[in-house]
Amino acid sequence: MTVRTDPEDTETSALHDFADFTGRRVLEIGCGDGRLTWRYADRAAHVTAIDPDADDIATALEDCPPALRDRVEFQVTRLEDFAPPQELFDIALLSWSL
Amino acid sequence: MVHALEKIQRLLKPGGFLIDIHPTTEPASIAVRLNQRIMPAGWISESDDYVEYGWADDALARVLESGLFALEQRGTFEFVWHADSLADLRAYLKEEWRDAVIDDVTAMRIEDLLRSPERAKEVTVIEKIGIARYRKM
Repeated sequence: MTVRTDPEDTETSALHDFADFTGRRVLEIGCGDGRLTWRYADRAAHVTAIDPDADDIATALEDCPPALRDRVEFQVTRLEDFAPPQELFDIALLSWSL
Repeated sequence: MVHALEKIQRLLKPGGFLIDIHPTTEPASIAVRLNQRIMPAGWISESDDYVEYGWADDALARVLESGLFALEQRGTFEFVWHADSLADLRAYLKEEWRDAVIDDVTAMRIEDLLRSPERAKEVTVIEKIGIARYRKM
């Protein structure tokens, strides 16, 4: 099966037009397998990426680039069950999940 | 959905913002590219999710009205999937976009176009996506 998803990177371009992630604490809701996470996490200070699908999170953990492992944290949870951390977030990202 | 947005508002620092990305209620279009020519073939039917995207828009409108967030920027972009064949596209949709349907007429048109003699050809699905930034108030 050969299907290429957004090879033009229009989503990444739009995302960076709307937000500067540099040095920010980010909460990504509905991160899935991390497809979008990899496109901004290198600029962020810290990313908490959540999704209720354990299989998708397992894929994200496997695919996480080594350079991002110290700044991206994945959690299997729904937003309503997500426990707020001590430090709040600068940016919340709802990626195809509302 | 409103409850989710209220929780997000509480999770943000003062001055923080929400970026929302979700498809518009406009159905995704299917086309076949033959060399440089783009030939429209039909649409993806997906009644459930298109309704949900309308609900998402309604929820966002409600939290704007309630003063939890202020809209700062809004736009759209085109998100494109490229498949080598109809079978590839159907297999992908079965895995990743389960309520998407390609009707028989559209499928026949895609197959007809793919039988043309051009060497460079592919099936594309184009979905219009909305993106917006909301500042925490």
